Amino acid sequence: MNVTEALRIIQHAPTDAPRYNVVLACGFTPLHLQTFLAAYLQQNLASRRVTVSTGLYGDVAGTLEAHTDIAAHGVTLALEWPDLDPRLGYRGAGNWGTAALADILSVTRAALDRIGAAIENLPAGIPVALSLPTLPLPPIFHTPGWQTAEAELALERNLLEFASHITRRRGCSLVNAGRLAENSPPGNRYDLKSDLLTGLPYTVPHASAVGAALARLLAPATPKKGLISDLDDTLWWGIVGEIGPEKVSWDLASHHQLHGLYQMLLAALAEEGVLIGAASKNDPVSVQQAFLRKDLLLPPDQIFPVEVNWNAKSSSVERILRTWNIGADSVVFVDDSPMELAEVAAAHPGIECLRFPKDDYGAAYAMLHRLRDLFGKARISPEDAIRLESVRRGAVFQEMAGGGSASEAFLQQSDAAITFDFCLSINDPRVLELVNKTNQFNLNGVRYTESDWKSRLSRQGALLATVSYQDKFGPLGKIAVVQGREDGETLYIETWVMSCRAFSRRIEHHCLKMLFDRYRADAITFEFMPTAKNGPLQDFFAGIVGDRPTAPFVLTRAQFEEKCPPLYHHVGEPQAGQT
Amino acid sequence: MSTVRDRLVTCFQAVFPDLPAAEIPVGTQASVASWDSVAAITLVNVIEDEFGIQVDFDLLAELDSFDRIHEYLCAEMRVP
Repeated sequence: MNVTEALRIIQHAPTDAPRYNVVLACGFTPLHLQTFLAAYLQQNLASRRVTVSTGLYGDVAGTLEAHTDIAAHGVTLALEWPDLDPRLGYRGAGNWGTAALADILSVTRAALDRIGAAIENLPAGIPVALSLPTLPLPPIFHTPGWQTAEAELALERNLLEFASHITRRRGCSLVNAGRLAENSPPGNRYDLKSDLLTGLPYTVPHASAVGAALARLLAPATPKKGLISDLDDTLWWGIVGEIGPEKVSWDLASHHQLHGLYQMLLAALAEEGVLIGAASKNDPVSVQQAFLRKDLLLPPDQIFPVEVNWNAKSSSVERILRTWNIGADSVVFVDDSPMELAEVAAAHPGIECLRFPKDDYGAAYAMLHRLRDLFGKARISPEDAIRLESVRRGAVFQEMAGGGSASEAFLQQSDAAITFDFCLSINDPRVLELVNKTNQFNLNGVRYTESDWKSRLSRQGALLATVSYQDKFGPLGKIAVVQGREDGETLYIETWVMSCRAFSRRIEHHCLKMLFDRYRADAITFEFMPTAKNGPLQDFFAGIVGDRPTAPFVLTRAQFEEKCPPLYHHVGEPQAGQT
Repeated sequence: MSTVRDRLVTCFQAVFPDLPAAEIPVGTQASVASWDSVAAITLVNVIEDEFGIQVDFDLLAELDSFDRIHEYLCAEMRVP
């Protein structure tokens, strides 16, 4: 992105959209860094209007301290060495001699302590994206430039200790220095003339790279949820139906380690809650035998479903998506055949198709890192650990229920229990995660930042219900969130999401019953908005009020009770310590 | 094909989106309120993007009006 493109993106931001206010704390003249940060954030947050404000020149800590009581949606910090001691830059006029080093170390420690305290004092819930110094230190050490000086190591140690401490604060994330170096080589970052004449030490490309990195931390892309992999010449080397299950390989000795690395990454993703499925045009018996091999690095029980047949790949993908009950745009499909990738891409718009480059080591390296980026998330939740098991149970549930809607007898015998937690738990990250990533059963598709969410829950009359579910097939964990407010006699529901894993169990009906009963409401106003993806929720309401709603609407208790089917769940509120 | 003048107008529109079109060709650092030192550097970068040239920061003080920048660009681009 160049400066012109960045300005164009900023100028084309929607004028009437809700604001997304970001503070950029940096000690130098922010100039293009501010422009690029605003532009990249605007790209990532298309439905918001991004504004980036800056603080005082040369006073990073002061800028952070000044924002302890301001409702910013996010804070970014682009730290450079002169912010810790002006002698570590080129614009100061202090002593660079060996005698000054001990004092420089002491001053930097104090500066880091002050910055750390300022970050700790920012209002809880405000995400902080931090970039550690990206520019080289000036030639202040007695060693030649190719040798690392002891004092330099001490400076680095102070910095890493600070970073390690500060990233333990919830919502504080750090730019990856290695990735930044790939995008902005260290030798191309510093512009001495610009630093001395304008106060901006960054070259334009480096300002763009740092802006992009900070924006990605503050407004990350939604991680993909599932990966569907081909088997032959992808999960392993060789055509299993031709050479036999004992001859397919994925190890270093056979020179097919690329497939082993791919299996290792898939196993790690599965452990983190990513759904892994397989779609292969193949002989089912040969595949079954290959899956019995003990040296597979991706345990076969982590792959579900496995679609092995001679039909079009797109139809296998279709069945897997149905079992997972997620949209194609949440899924990555990996295959070695460009033709298969094209066929699947044409049938499932939005799916991300990646070719497995079995003979190209450079491309394979890039693919492994691309997969990590597509599925990477800031933290692993307890729900991630049970996702695969819950999908398997869901498949069993659907099978036993006889497909579409479950029979009365089946639901009655499911031993289902719903737990409604009414605690306004602003500190449970799973709640906001569920709100922001659920598409199909979603009242209006509105996404929230942590600070938006916190301010909603802080209002007079705010209500929040977090819904957990389990039945004799096992727990589904926290699967629904209802958020709204009581205003006099009126109950407004502004957010209602439910995981697609929980469909067909009448949990949505019980949520409505809970709202009518708990709040003794005769009517509820739903802040409904149709989206391209919330068809299942529209169908649910159509089943009660007769038509799919098209705008916010009021549902009366009488309307609901007339259409509510029998509910067999046991209901409870969480015991102390469970929330 | 766009003239240097037309392309320079586009650069001004990018940096000063609120400046009326009629005021761009007569714009100077003194007459355009938002043309501060930061905008001057941004304008130079946008001109670099548009014309594929490098502008020396030492010239920033001299490039203080649309006309002067136009004159500078014509010389750089060898446009008569």
